[in-house]
Amino acid sequence: MKRKLMATVLAGAMALSVTACGGGNTASTGGTEDAGTQAPAADAAADAGEEDAGAPAAETSGSVELVVTTTFAGEDSNAQNYKDAVKGWEAETGNAVVDTSATADETFKTRVATDFETGSEPDVLFFFNGADSNSFIEAGKVVSIDEIRAEYPDYASNMNEDLIAASLVDGKKYAVPANGYWEAMFVNTEILEEAGVAMPGADYTMDQFKADCEKIKAAGYAPIAAALGNIPHYWWEFAIFNNQSPATHLEIPESAGDENGQAWVAGMNDIKELYELGYFPENTLSATDDETFAMFTEGKAAFLIDGSWKVGGIVNSCQSDPNDPTTLDSAKLDKFDVTYVPGKGDRKATDLIGGLSSGYFITRKAWDDPAKRAAAVSFVEYLTSDEMVPKFAQHGASALKNAPEVDSSQFNSLQIKAMNMMAGTTSLTGAVQDLFSGDCRVSTFDGMPEIVTGRVAAEDAVAEGLEAYHNQ
Amino acid sequence: MGANIYRNKKPALAFLLPAFLFMIVFLYYPFFKNILNSFMHLKQLGASATEFNTPWYTNYEEMLHDPYVWTSVKNTIIMMLVTLVGQVGIAIVLALMVDNIGRGKQFFRTVFFFPIVISATALGLMFNLIFLRDKGMINQILEILGKQNLTDWKAEGIALVTMMAPVMWQYVGFYFVILVTGLNNISDELYEAARIDGATALQRVRYISVPLLHNVICTCSVLAVTGALKVFDLPWVMFPKGMPLKSTFLTGTYMYYHTMETKNVDYGAALAVLIVVLGVVLAKIVNAIFREKDY
Repeated sequence: MKRKLMATVLAGAMALSVTACGGGNTASTGGTEDAGTQAPAADAAADAGEEDAGAPAAETSGSVELVVTTTFAGEDSNAQNYKDAVKGWEAETGNAVVDTSATADETFKTRVATDFETGSEPDVLFFFNGADSNSFIEAGKVVSIDEIRAEYPDYASNMNEDLIAASLVDGKKYAVPANGYWEAMFVNTEILEEAGVAMPGADYTMDQFKADCEKIKAAGYAPIAAALGNIPHYWWEFAIFNNQSPATHLEIPESAGDENGQAWVAGMNDIKELYELGYFPENTLSATDDETFAMFTEGKAAFLIDGSWKVGGIVNSCQSDPNDPTTLDSAKLDKFDVTYVPGKGDRKATDLIGGLSSGYFITRKAWDDPAKRAAAVSFVEYLTSDEMVPKFAQHGASALKNAPEVDSSQFNSLQIKAMNMMAGTTSLTGAVQDLFSGDCRVSTFDGMPEIVTGRVAAEDAVAEGLEAYHNQ
Repeated sequence: MGANIYRNKKPALAFLLPAFLFMIVFLYYPFFKNILNSFMHLKQLGASATEFNTPWYTNYEEMLHDPYVWTSVKNTIIMMLVTLVGQVGIAIVLALMVDNIGRGKQFFRTVFFFPIVISATALGLMFNLIFLRDKGMINQILEILGKQNLTDWKAEGIALVTMMAPVMWQYVGFYFVILVTGLNNISDELYEAARIDGATALQRVRYISVPLLHNVICTCSVLAVTGALKVFDLPWVMFPKGMPLKSTFLTGTYMYYHTMETKNVDYGAALAVLIVVLGVVLAKIVNAIFREKDY
């Protein structure tokens, strides 16, 4: 009898544990209950928000939890701005944001694409509007701006329509741009002084650059901070650009043998030449991008080609506490400058890569959810408002119709130098790698070490990539 | 009547069912699906494959011509040997030494076991700093000792050693604890008798400890070899994308690289099949070599 009782007790315990396992579902669906219990406070906050003249046009229920993913993370200049903006929107609307932002790299892109494939996409995402977004646009998993405007006519109405990029898939516009970007060459002027090299200007050529690199190398420094085995992206882009012109840069070659294809091959060989001349760090094939960036900020490498987002990273490296701007060592920051990327052929140094390559998408899943539709629209409107965009754009471009005068009084020295540099640009061309994404990149991005060491011919690597691209 | 409850197997089946279903959903279904995917055209993780490759065995054919597959298999086999010698071998030495000390056994058990409880990712980041060219801990020490040039511990010729040393270090404690437990099970009377017969400490180890540890060593060896096939996180953190020059790929990291980085998902699936085949074959070989004895 005792055994029977014990068996019954054990069976009961097992049944309870199974129920408890199922309780995970209850807990997850219980999110609604949780939201319900939070509703009074959230409603109060929403009420407060309604009185605010700056509140978004879309009215939200005040108890919605939005899943948002962006690239405002890590060393991105706008990581803190984004956090502040999210807090502001949450306080204003009473809604909550589950933030899954991460540094923009291939793993992040794969994660986003996989989330869409498996139906676990975020509600709103700030993502690339080039070829990287093709898969989920083709699958109809994001909502076009026109469709949103049918219900919210003022959606993105503060943006210059010509600057909202159309999808490569169907020509429709999906992503509301916030801030633009540029790619240029950061300079550690302290090393230049040590090596007796003048600060490069608007007429800087590749030949002058090589001569300067030779002097810097002779002075005992690494001329170029770049991890070719990890992030060759910026050199890849400009090396190809240097063998083309702004008019032809965004044309993807049909083959490695045609004129444009030969420009790509020449670009790869230009990087190989710089590698053979010893201008990259000794460990450029085995170092990570973080390591070579540290070489630049610690005064061991002179030039760094990177994007506008790196301004924040350099500033952070000059702060004793990266999260506290008041700890900025201004004297140290003054030693950094930013200038044009050395030009060659039909490309002038002042022809830079840049534009509005990312924007806010609203997913179909959020749009079709009555509880989330208004919140998603409200969130994007808040992040792309006339007041918010200049904070993100800083010294860079934006797509605002009525972009306010840039208030440089709050800028640090590097931001002012960046603003002055940008004032002298002759053209901004998009990055061709934004159109050339997926496995077609592998042979020339991941394969860059093989190219520069001569194990794979540049022509073969370019041909392999183009073949993969045209087979997509 | 009372004994009938032991004859009735139905309740036991009911209890087994949840675990069985769990295995079906999370192990066997993905396993067979992965085999199918390796023949399909699949370029996006999570997407449904709709058509077969042409020909359907394309990925397996490509594998034969892919030099990095052979690099990764070669590195994985080296990793197994390093694991056997470096982990189990060092663990045996440590276990025998600790078994012969009077006090502090528990202290050494804890100290040697501790690396196991630290996340491999955290260890990878830590060893990245230790091996940093400019200027990690090792290069700083070498500089103090008078070395002029910085050593790139991740350069092509030495990268494999730099990758395997932390992996080896991390798991020594695991085998150490198993072996110490095995040593504790050997009766003190045997040692006592040997001592009376005039056996030296070395002879006691040679003729008592090692033979009686044979089965434990076999178990450790099988665990070490099969474990080496699964090593992934620490090498990936230290040498992403097989850096430098794709020379540090292991089968696991190469499979992950194709699945997550190059978006060649079907090829990644084929590599996963290769890992399974390699695992089964090597496990058979290891089991045959390290067969346990009956005493």
